[in-house]
Amino acid sequence: MDKGHPDYSAEYWAIRLESAPLPEAEQIALEAWLAEDERREGALLRAQATLSYLDRGRALSHGVPAAANSNTRRDFVRYAAGGVAASLAVALGLLLPRDRQIVTQIGEVRQVPLADGSTATVNTASKVGVHFEKAERIVRLSEGEAWFRVAHDKSRPFIVEAGDVRVRAVGTAFSVRRRNSSADVLVTEGIVETWIVGKEAQAVRIAAGSKAFVSRDAGEIATTPASQEIDRSLAWRTGELALDGETLAFAVEEINRYNAKKLVIDTPDLGREPLVGYFRTNEPANFGHAVTSLVGAQMIDDGNAIHLTRPIKDLKKSNL
Amino acid sequence: MDLEARITQSRSEIVAWVGSHIVPHEARLRLWLRGMAISEDEVNDIVQDAYVLIARLDSVAHIRNGKSYFFQTAKSVFIQKIRRSRIVPIGHLTEIDAAVLSDDDPGPERRLSARQELDRVRRLIAGLPEKCRIIFEMRRIQGLPQKEIAKRLGVSENVVEMQAVRGLKLILKALETNDNGDGDARKRKTETRFEVEKNG
Repeated sequence: MDKGHPDYSAEYWAIRLESAPLPEAEQIALEAWLAEDERREGALLRAQATLSYLDRGRALSHGVPAAANSNTRRDFVRYAAGGVAASLAVALGLLLPRDRQIVTQIGEVRQVPLADGSTATVNTASKVGVHFEKAERIVRLSEGEAWFRVAHDKSRPFIVEAGDVRVRAVGTAFSVRRRNSSADVLVTEGIVETWIVGKEAQAVRIAAGSKAFVSRDAGEIATTPASQEIDRSLAWRTGELALDGETLAFAVEEINRYNAKKLVIDTPDLGREPLVGYFRTNEPANFGHAVTSLVGAQMIDDGNAIHLTRPIKDLKKSNL
Repeated sequence: MDLEARITQSRSEIVAWVGSHIVPHEARLRLWLRGMAISEDEVNDIVQDAYVLIARLDSVAHIRNGKSYFFQTAKSVFIQKIRRSRIVPIGHLTEIDAAVLSDDDPGPERRLSARQELDRVRRLIAGLPEKCRIIFEMRRIQGLPQKEIAKRLGVSENVVEMQAVRGLKLILKALETNDNGDGDARKRKTETRFEVEKNG
């Protein structure tokens, strides 16, 4: 073996192969290394696959955990840090306006401290009006979606208005996504109360780890446990879309919320392909690339939109 | 069918598939092998050989259940070994048969939720020594390129690479024993029960 080279190992090659295409000399060294022992082929696959496995750790690793389980020290530290941030926000709150409009552009996700120490994380293409009064804190979601971490204040309930849908919290964390006349409510901490204007008597409480679809037309408000889904549903806060078997059509609709340049599925059955993984919401072309390899699609960018189709050879094949 | 079989997947697709369907079950496989009184050295050999066999596949598209494929592959490696050594330990074969059968179909309810899997990945990374951990977090979680990490930390790319290799070695070691939480299936069910209070 030649001298001066690093300590070759499966792990070394896995890391090397990841950063860039290998220069020719190294490619030869790799092949020689592999040829020396047939089992190295398996070891290299294992090391590379593990790196790929670790990449699944994106998104949630620095997201806010759901209220349920895990009392690890790490979480504790993060909550404690959150506490400091909250009290800092209260101090800053004195300087923040009590009435304000928060408008996000397509693709923009903003975390905004509010005057009472609460924070609003506002998703793409959304409009949020903040009106804080003595007796209550009113937030109007006229478009889009936002996640709120509400500062505790028993004397002033925090109420989100999304059309006719109302969501009330005292000190808790939850998200509201407006869909025309209805809304999705996801609760990550504490309990919120939700109702439709005029149907106050039918208000429903939603606890941490549950969600509800609230609509005037739907009759009774049904809450569903969704603790495992909630973290994924809120991955947008860190700019990601988390999929666990949802269809390509669903994913495209979600990604399109964040980008002016839209993804279009040209072959309808392609839209039914299930996907698993984490994708950046603001990189439609990268998402398209991933799809081409995950479900065997073809991507064509015509300048206005990114088209996803079944490759022609597959169509031919199915005609055989 | 024939046409299908001839389509080969790119290596990166296979790597990604092995990362999500094989690697997460390695600890469980080792546990199962150890449970049959196979020595640690032998367990290492069997797992390594199973990876070699998987590495030689042209495509993994035909594999419907990664976990049972991994177990079956390990089983056939083990049987080969026994044949070669010509000593058949009594009970071994029937035991593996029974174990493989019961593991044949993990079923949807035993599939790990994305959340659990992410927790596990997070724990693996959090368990690294500080330098490695920082680099792994930047690379795997924030998705920064190596060059950018080197710049931010004010070190050479070589240093980043060395730490990454060290971290990966430690994680591979941890994956041998650190179970993926399959056994938590029961616990999970009770955790997701909620009481919905109604008002009015």
